[in-house]
Amino acid sequence: MVTDVSKPLIEARNLSLSVPVITANERDLMRNPMRFLGESYFSRTVRSEITLLEDISFALQPGERLGLIGANGAGKSTLLRVLAGIYTMSSGKLKVNGAAKGLFDISLGMHPQATGLENIYLRSLQMGLDLKAIRSLIPDVIAFSELDEHIDKPLATYSTGMRLRLAIAVSTMIEPDILLLDEWIGAGDARFNAKVKERMISLVKGSRGLVLATHNTGLMKSLCTLGLVLDKGRVVFNGPVDEALERFKAMV
Amino acid sequence: MRFIYLSYFIFLLGYRQTVLGPLWLLIGPSLFIALLGLLYAEIGAAEPEVFILHLAIGLITWTLVNGFIVKSATVFLRSRPQILQGEQSLDDIVAVEVTTTLLSFAHQLPIILIVFLIYEIGLNWVALESFLGLSLLVANGVWASYVFGILGARYRDLVEVFNAVMRIAFLATPIIWMPGEGMQGGVMAAFLIYNPFYHFIEIIRAPLLGQSPALLSWSVAIGFTAVGFLAAWILKKCYARLVPFWL
Repeated sequence: MVTDVSKPLIEARNLSLSVPVITANERDLMRNPMRFLGESYFSRTVRSEITLLEDISFALQPGERLGLIGANGAGKSTLLRVLAGIYTMSSGKLKVNGAAKGLFDISLGMHPQATGLENIYLRSLQMGLDLKAIRSLIPDVIAFSELDEHIDKPLATYSTGMRLRLAIAVSTMIEPDILLLDEWIGAGDARFNAKVKERMISLVKGSRGLVLATHNTGLMKSLCTLGLVLDKGRVVFNGPVDEALERFKAMV
Repeated sequence: MRFIYLSYFIFLLGYRQTVLGPLWLLIGPSLFIALLGLLYAEIGAAEPEVFILHLAIGLITWTLVNGFIVKSATVFLRSRPQILQGEQSLDDIVAVEVTTTLLSFAHQLPIILIVFLIYEIGLNWVALESFLGLSLLVANGVWASYVFGILGARYRDLVEVFNAVMRIAFLATPIIWMPGEGMQGGVMAAFLIYNPFYHFIEIIRAPLLGQSPALLSWSVAIGFTAVGFLAAWILKKCYARLVPFWL
């Protein structure tokens, strides 16, 4: 991949995203339960357009780390998914100078009938890795997950904690070029959590850039240099992270 | 290479906790042909060795056609996590899906071979045309995955539509029955001429039975391929960006 080090890692100009949504037709469950059933039967719907992101502009220079700040539903996760290329913006310009990879819903997409080891293969193949690369990564993934002999048992037999450990081990096995994080990743017990934290910090340090969405202000202050405050899909403030957090505090 | 390995993996995972695994793909059609083949040959007053081969190739080709269509309606819905994590693009998903369906088909091919051996039927050079027929069918499987995958993500009704229609289409297509000599007119003509499934099965089956498929069958298959890819291109261009929101 050819990457120009002098250019901003991410440059968004007037980025907007609106999608048509199909909503139920004024189903008033409280007032008229019978009519609700009747309308659900034929699922009458109304089409409308909602704006998820509007006129967002910012630039992330190499060496800077951006924190996305905002209330629930402000558009943080949506913006991250646009940056990752999962959602396509409806208008505006977006330049990502490198390969942006996000860690979203990491525990989804595992196959319950397959063993832990098979799931590592499955996920890695789906991520686009070839067999040779997978084979060289696997010992580290198994060691990190601490699943030992359970790695050869079907995922359906795992406890929630074991599943999460496997998901974290798989999702963090390759260092992304530009890391997009929707909430910090953590696991139940304190000892393993410390290990995850160490791994995550090394991912952040190894990547050329970070965009992080979290409600944890302490974490954001320690990791990010810049803050982008979002409200209802619009940028309210764009500047140093401390000022951004102050601004957000004043809003709520 | 990666695609084939991944497709094989997903294909085999579907048979976890079964004793016989993908062998089940052989058992279903074999039982059908063995138990009902002779009965339907007699009902249709056809020669058993002609009818059984017609049935075997028809049934297995139909399973492929049916697989492409029925699975396409849920192809993106089933890959929700991969799409929302950004791990797989729609193209990746379609490639894997078409390959897994082809793997199922490949597992059923021995049945046709066995029927050929049992009845000691020879092949001539015309049989090679069925490769062309199969390629056209697979190409249609690709556009169908895009078209019905996108439509099926938006309208969950599509699964129900296919469930209702495909069973009727199976009976309306000459698989368990055979158009005899001089029976190409009247009511039957409509079931042959206006039935795209018939043409798609014909371009694979007829060459194996020693006949070149009719020009009409080739034309219909090529026409469907062209129109289908155009529809896939348009739908993908306009609606692919909305698929993650519909899942």
